[in-house]
Amino acid sequence: MDLTIESLQERLETQGYICDQDLVLTLYLSLKLAKPLLVEGAPGVGKTEVAKALAGALNTDLIRLQCYEGLDENRALYEWNYQRQLLKIEIARGTCEPSALEKDLFDMEYLLERPLLKAIRADKRVVLLIDEIDKTDPEFEAFLFELLSDFQVSIPELGTIKARQIPAVVLTSNGERELSDGLKRRCIYLYIDYPTVEKEARILQVKVPQARKELVYQVVQAVNFIRSQLNLKKKPSIAETLDWARALVAMHADALTPEIVGQTLNLILKNRDDQEMLKREIGLRGLVEKSLGTKGDEGTCCQCIHHHR
Amino acid sequence: MGINPVTGVAGREEKGENTLHHNLVRFTHILRHLGMRVSMAETLDAYRALTLVDLKSREKVKAALRAVLVKKAPDRQIFDLAFERFFVPPEDKEQQYLLRRQQEEKERQRLAKAREKLEQVLSPWSMEIKFNQEDIQTFVRMPLQEQKRLTDFIRRMRGNPVNSPGELIARVMQSALNYWRYYLLKTQGEEARRQLEAELTGETELDDVISGVAADFYRDPDDQLLYQDMQHIGLAEVEKYTLTLERLSRHLANRLSRRYRQSSRRQKLDMRRTIRRNIAYGGSPLKLCYRSRRRHKLRLILICDVSASMARYARFILQFIYGLSNAVQYIESFVFSEDMERITPHFRKNEDFVTVMTDLVNASQQWGKTTDFNTALKTFHVQWGNLLTADTLVIIVSDTKTITPREAARELAALREKVRDILWLNPVPARQWSNLPGVEVFLPHVRMFECYSLHQLESILHQQLLK
Repeated sequence: MDLTIESLQERLETQGYICDQDLVLTLYLSLKLAKPLLVEGAPGVGKTEVAKALAGALNTDLIRLQCYEGLDENRALYEWNYQRQLLKIEIARGTCEPSALEKDLFDMEYLLERPLLKAIRADKRVVLLIDEIDKTDPEFEAFLFELLSDFQVSIPELGTIKARQIPAVVLTSNGERELSDGLKRRCIYLYIDYPTVEKEARILQVKVPQARKELVYQVVQAVNFIRSQLNLKKKPSIAETLDWARALVAMHADALTPEIVGQTLNLILKNRDDQEMLKREIGLRGLVEKSLGTKGDEGTCCQCIHHHR
Repeated sequence: MGINPVTGVAGREEKGENTLHHNLVRFTHILRHLGMRVSMAETLDAYRALTLVDLKSREKVKAALRAVLVKKAPDRQIFDLAFERFFVPPEDKEQQYLLRRQQEEKERQRLAKAREKLEQVLSPWSMEIKFNQEDIQTFVRMPLQEQKRLTDFIRRMRGNPVNSPGELIARVMQSALNYWRYYLLKTQGEEARRQLEAELTGETELDDVISGVAADFYRDPDDQLLYQDMQHIGLAEVEKYTLTLERLSRHLANRLSRRYRQSSRRQKLDMRRTIRRNIAYGGSPLKLCYRSRRRHKLRLILICDVSASMARYARFILQFIYGLSNAVQYIESFVFSEDMERITPHFRKNEDFVTVMTDLVNASQQWGKTTDFNTALKTFHVQWGNLLTADTLVIIVSDTKTITPREAARELAALREKVRDILWLNPVPARQWSNLPGVEVFLPHVRMFECYSLHQLESILHQQLLK
């Protein structure tokens, strides 16, 4: 497959993933250099979506490893099927040569593949998503080094297993803790910021095609204002903007009004203090007015975010 | 730099100084000196990345290098600034080079004049005083009226009938120059370089880029708050700062209170439960049960200096620790200046932090006084010594400026014997610790950390509490 930057962007857009040139170029380099891609950014800016869209664009499978604290190699890489091994021992008791039995017991047949092993043993190049890597312990991160740099794993009983096809690896992190230098060194880095007004409007048009253009424009202006001007505990993510737009469509709203914003505010601000702050600082009517801002306002606002981030 | 008349190639090209390799290596060198971590492996990746993009497109080159060399969100701005300053068209580079040469020449002349002027003022003792290049540079950079004030003062001293005026004048001159060197460093660019952890290389062309980036560097307002000295948080920013503080302490609290799911490989088999569970399978151990060890939550004692110089730091640090109270089994908080006071009951009123702090400051006898750490620790031992256990972590927040530091150090040693560890958060920058007598005597008994910003506070507690 002869992949170019332009063709990758086209394919991603056909998957409904709106992205800018920098993001595509970073993804392209990660694929061409066969290096994992580490994606960081605030929750809900579309980090996981990168992997999903990439799998779609490359027309391949997505294998996902969801990380959590305490995740170990048994859950991530492989585990011997202990119960099955035990049954085999019971069945073969007295009928089989012990050394042959032992050899049999540590065969691939008794190996339970977990996502990492599955990805490197796959016959075709898959996309491996290691989601929220910052939630794991530093020890697990170190354990990943062999996989991420050499695309191989060592299983003491079987030896080293090399990847049949080097998977496209995407790691995501919410920045809950600083990742090790070793891990970062092995990765290509991508930071995804909150989108500009234009980009978010395009995303909304693709994902919620039922929403009228004016409504889309109002929604993204309002969300942009909330993100950039209010000191919130949690800023609304793209996913929440989408939910809000879908809810407005479901309520047959053609435009934002103070009443309808009041009824649906809990879709974008999921913290009582944040809701109170919005009402106190600008009020529902004020937000509606901001959402009707001129094109000039839009430019300034979006530049402001881009500039500061 | 001109064109070689024989080869017809520009000098820099001829020396191989304008090749892709050369420029890439120099660029990564600059990034390292700007505090970014760029390994050899990443430099090689950067080179490979450049072979995959259109080198004529500046934006693509920039994006490719950024993807490979930047590994932290805050480093993106440093990278962008360095890229814009380093990768400039050859003619601009030549222009910059010529300009630099002119400036160097001007500077050389200025220094020569200053040396002459100094020697004139100090004559006939100028031979006894050995000025180094840095002294002369400091003199040149001093404001003109200050230069005049200093030279007038030295002239007046010449008539002073002391035994050895030359030595005295030399000492006065040296200490004046030392003061100005420190002042100028502090006020002109040093602050920016410190924020960036940037170091100059000694090579003019690279240092131009590094100084330029340090001068242009500004942090995202949200990030800036994290790195800002707590003492300089303005009234307008307090609300935003408090929110950030809450967010960070909540974040840490979540991690501290999380229940760990240990790997089954690391645990011990619980034989009794395993046998009981497998009776149904005829005694074959099909399903294994493991013993898991409960994690003990931490016990924390916070001792905060609230003397005049420390009150502002104390307010923010107390709030941060207060935010951890749901994750840490036990927190006792104390404030001290002339003596020790227990403030834990104020924190148990279930009121918002601002109200708690207002009540606290009104009720406390210690806020804004001078510091006597020795007396404060003695009181602590007598009244609250029973709180000290082997699993207690003591956090002391103070600038170590106290009367009778040696006596205080003895009390501190006694405290250290009774607890698991003592962390000392010192808001004075580490490079000034050598001037504080307290630091030297306290250091053997505590682990001291520089801590004047929220970023430092969070990362110290993160590392130390999650160990």
